[in-house]
Amino acid sequence: MEGRPLDDIALVERAKKGDVNAYESLVQHYQQLAFRVAYQVTGNAADAEDAAQEAFVNAYYALGGFRAGAPFKPWLCRIVANEARNRRTSAQRRTVLAERALVAQSSGDSAQSPEDAAEAHEFRSTLVATLQRLKEDDRLILAYRLFFDLSEAEMADALSVPKGTVKSRLSRALGRLRAALPADIRMPSPAGEHDG
Amino acid sequence: MADSRRLMDVELERALRDLGPRYPYPPTPNLTSRVRLRITAQPVRRPRRLELWRDPRRLALVAAVLLVLLGAAALANPATRDAIAHFFHVRGVIVNREASPLPSFSPVTPLDLGRRTTMADAQSKVSFTIAVPPELGEPDAVYVVSGIPGGEVALAYTPRPGIPLVKQTGLGVLVTEFRGDLIPGFIFKGVEQGTTVQEVSVNGDPGWWIAGQPHLVIIQVGGNDQSETLRMAANTLIWEHAGVTYRIESGLSKADAFRIAAGLP
Repeated sequence: MEGRPLDDIALVERAKKGDVNAYESLVQHYQQLAFRVAYQVTGNAADAEDAAQEAFVNAYYALGGFRAGAPFKPWLCRIVANEARNRRTSAQRRTVLAERALVAQSSGDSAQSPEDAAEAHEFRSTLVATLQRLKEDDRLILAYRLFFDLSEAEMADALSVPKGTVKSRLSRALGRLRAALPADIRMPSPAGEHDG
Repeated sequence: MADSRRLMDVELERALRDLGPRYPYPPTPNLTSRVRLRITAQPVRRPRRLELWRDPRRLALVAAVLLVLLGAAALANPATRDAIAHFFHVRGVIVNREASPLPSFSPVTPLDLGRRTTMADAQSKVSFTIAVPPELGEPDAVYVVSGIPGGEVALAYTPRPGIPLVKQTGLGVLVTEFRGDLIPGFIFKGVEQGTTVQEVSVNGDPGWWIAGQPHLVIIQVGGNDQSETLRMAANTLIWEHAGVTYRIESGLSKADAFRIAAGLP
């Protein structure tokens, strides 16, 4: 999911001229990001899938006026997030518990002792559950920076906010996440750190 | 204290980066074929160029508008244009203050609000949830434009006690809603010295209140040679929420416009 602006620019230019294959390459490359951004907003797979698909279709029809050389990725993120906001349903509440179980299953570090691994699982589960309770704007900005690795410029574009405010918004979101975590939470030791 | 807090931030960031690849996302569905099917089923419609040159009145409008645009040479540069749009925070909208008075348009430029339809049909043609201001209730007429990305809806309210007639529109209140985030083109508003432009906060989102002298509105969608609408507008409150740009145009005071806006997203 790394940035590849040169490829994107060429593909966007071809897609603008009606090259469906070029656009399909963009969809192929960005569908995971789009789905995951949408999922961060909806917390629900069906809505996230719907939002990501709709965002790709809408973005295609909007390409005609897309400024040559403008970055595609943050623009797509913005459209996806907006589509997702329009679809968010109360179903998201129900998914939180299921996710806690999922996160515990999905993470296993062979470099860790079973105790450390269990502690890390517990910590991540709590982190996911707490993220889910944050306001969507906070969750999205944290995800853009720390999960999806958007640059500050890309985040400003994706969030429709001035570039100068991205850092402070991120810091405030981090502060609210910290405040929402259980008071007795302990940072687990990182994998392998006290093995060697 | 400050140090431990900073350490905590660093730790939290590290923990989140560590969580990123392990985050319990459902499997990513393959969207390529469905997206392909939809975009090939409905190829991009190039909006037809408006035949501005055949209508002398429109030609005069275009000439006036070009003067306005030339006066704002910075806007010709897309990078600057984007920077300005960003500065104002409202996507798809640029307000430009003019040094010289704008030409006045007489007779009234006919409104081109799109196709008149029902609310249900309009909702099926746009990619956002149409919001009806509770303060005004069901509109007297609904118009939809489906040729632009995401579509645009216009809710028209006729004058009634407490809602004066706006000469420019022939209506009491006009509420328009469109996906500002999907439209890389922009609404250009030229305003005279006698016009107030205030940056405001509408339901927590940044916006503008433009009032006083009627101002010129040009709507350009997706570049220079596509659909363009030119007309003079009355007092306008405009803001964006979650990618949708909302615009309330009326002869009402700022307080009344804000009361209407309070029931919208």
